[in-house]
Amino acid sequence: MDYFLQNFPQQLLNGLEIGSLYALIALGYTLIYGILELLNFAHGDVFMVGGFLAAGAAALFVHNEVAVIPAALIVTLMAVAAMGGAGMLGVGIERVAYRPLRNANRLAPLITAIGVSLFLQSAMQVWVSPAPVLVPSNALVPQTVLHAAGIETPLTGLTLFVVAVALMIGLDLFVFRTRFGSAMRATAQDREAATFMGIDVDRVIMVTFFIASALAGMGGLLFGLRYATVDFFMGYLLGIKAFTAAVIGGIGNLRGAMIGGLMLGILESLVGGFISTQFQDTFVFLALIVVLLVRPQGLFGQPLTDRA
Amino acid sequence: MSAQPATLDTETSHPLKRLWDAGPAGWNNALTKPSVLVPFFIVAALIPFALQYVEDNSSWTGTQFWTFLLANCAMYACLAVALNLVVGYAGLLNLGFIAFFGIGSYAYALVASNQIHQHFPFWAALLVVILVTLAFALLVGIPALRLRGDYLAIVTLGFGLIMNDLILNLDRPPVLAGHQFGPSGLNLTGGTNGLHNVAPFPLPTSLPLLGEIPHSRMYYWIFLGALALSIYGILRWRHSRTGRAWVAIRDDELAARAMGVNTFKYRLLAFCISAVMAGIFGMIDAAFVFNAYPDNFAVQQTVTVFIMVILGGLGSLPGAILGAIAFTVPPYLMQQLVSYKYLIVAVALIAVMVLRPEGLLGTVSIRPRKTMGGTVELLTAESTIEATELPAVTDTEVADLEAQSGAIVEDPEWKP
Repeated sequence: MDYFLQNFPQQLLNGLEIGSLYALIALGYTLIYGILELLNFAHGDVFMVGGFLAAGAAALFVHNEVAVIPAALIVTLMAVAAMGGAGMLGVGIERVAYRPLRNANRLAPLITAIGVSLFLQSAMQVWVSPAPVLVPSNALVPQTVLHAAGIETPLTGLTLFVVAVALMIGLDLFVFRTRFGSAMRATAQDREAATFMGIDVDRVIMVTFFIASALAGMGGLLFGLRYATVDFFMGYLLGIKAFTAAVIGGIGNLRGAMIGGLMLGILESLVGGFISTQFQDTFVFLALIVVLLVRPQGLFGQPLTDRA
Repeated sequence: MSAQPATLDTETSHPLKRLWDAGPAGWNNALTKPSVLVPFFIVAALIPFALQYVEDNSSWTGTQFWTFLLANCAMYACLAVALNLVVGYAGLLNLGFIAFFGIGSYAYALVASNQIHQHFPFWAALLVVILVTLAFALLVGIPALRLRGDYLAIVTLGFGLIMNDLILNLDRPPVLAGHQFGPSGLNLTGGTNGLHNVAPFPLPTSLPLLGEIPHSRMYYWIFLGALALSIYGILRWRHSRTGRAWVAIRDDELAARAMGVNTFKYRLLAFCISAVMAGIFGMIDAAFVFNAYPDNFAVQQTVTVFIMVILGGLGSLPGAILGAIAFTVPPYLMQQLVSYKYLIVAVALIAVMVLRPEGLLGTVSIRPRKTMGGTVELLTAESTIEATELPAVTDTEVADLEAQSGAIVEDPEWKP
């Protein structure tokens, strides 16, 4: 019990850190599902590509662990590359792989999405690097470790949490307070009716994909700075977990995805810390299955009538 | 078919022309006739002899390699046919399909190797494999099949990942919250190494008349036999009450329920049959290669089997065989292709889905359709028309008719 009490705050903090990353990516799943009712299996891999773009941008300006221009500028450039590149990738994926199937049977885009996911993974593996790529994190951001009340966290981890939460709040404001946000919500509610109201649905879908993918790209950058390495397979498991978070929170529900992500991170961290590191993932997916069976619409989702 | 000529202008046209006009669904029907399938399997079974003959009479020495490749082809064809049953016929997106293949091969490996020092006789091992895969299928199927569509896909994907996690981590006794379950030396799955020295089936190595039978050839025949048996079973099923129920559920679940079809029962049946088939194929594979590896049921493998089914066409048995050949042979022949394998699989998957979603010989139409408020989702060309009789009507025209009239075209399996 003492062991539990001593370690609980630390595990909670670790959980919040990884959970904020899940939440950031879960937002993308839930945004796209909300608008298109499409499970974009490739979203985790967009996150991975974002990480690679950030690593690539860093490699241009950091030679032998020394930044050739001010570090803050490099990080800004990395963010632009990761968010812009991933966003464009998302728009491209929608254009090529999903738009032709928009009115098709539900099975079709789901299978295509799996194909896109496998494509991004293998393309990175074959054409870029089969081995993990290092991100010169220690040349770019201070590697301070913060101590407070017996718990510790690296500054990069805290940054990850803060930036992720800031982006989530920004997205929430965008969707719920702006004119374009209400167009997005209208499209999500009823695409046909939105068209009658003069909303350019294609444009809304494009922008949604851009935002969702840019958030994933930012997640890739934050991941790279925190763990100093990216690899072609990292989007797979992380993507599935983020997706699990979106489902747990109620897919299609933005705030649900944020809370679901944080909850999943904490669950994973607590399971790892106190029950079993060996079967950490098993517990995560068991949680997913149990939530789906008990409450298929997720914890915060609207009851779905004929959605399936 | 030819005994009752159609009343349209087809009477005068050449049979080949008629076949061409019948389109993919018609080709599929033509290829699933016993008069095509029986000779196909006989010829396929004789290929090793032809290879042997060529090798004996020339300097070419590829028999062993090619027989091994053929056995692999036959195995993937088996898997594709089993997946086709659950996705193509019953319309259930089972992303954990390959896990059942793995469960079968590990179950057999455990009772036929020194891992836990059990060596069951063949029939007992087969029973174990069937019962274990069935137990897992029920465990996942009963809760998951109450969900539909996307959610079923997620739950089965989660199940596949859990199995993967268990296989990789059960090489040591599970430790939960500081408590160890089982003796310290417990090693059930061999972790990343897998299980080795799995016993092959107790089969004679030579037979009267056939002479000596090499290992690969024997297992090629076993897989071929399993494939023939599966196809025979599925074809018989398709025209039974069960098969009609599957197609009805896939095409319009609501209508099927209104007709009194117990959708849950039939979906569970399809799910379990397909899972047990995959388990048995896994068992044969473990005996064939003497191993059970965790790689054999990574998620990429599921996608690989999916592309085989989708390229050939959902709901098409010959298509599944075709797809299996298309994605098994090239990577073996061109070693430089191996690293590109999944890239090619992925591109093919996207291209087929976008350009021709029903696949080469598909009988399920999943093309984008302009719905005018209707909820028509799937339409089976296979079922709506006996294609060779009414060659002028194509799949898309039926769809148009349907869209115009707002009605659902006749009962798929209706026969006068």
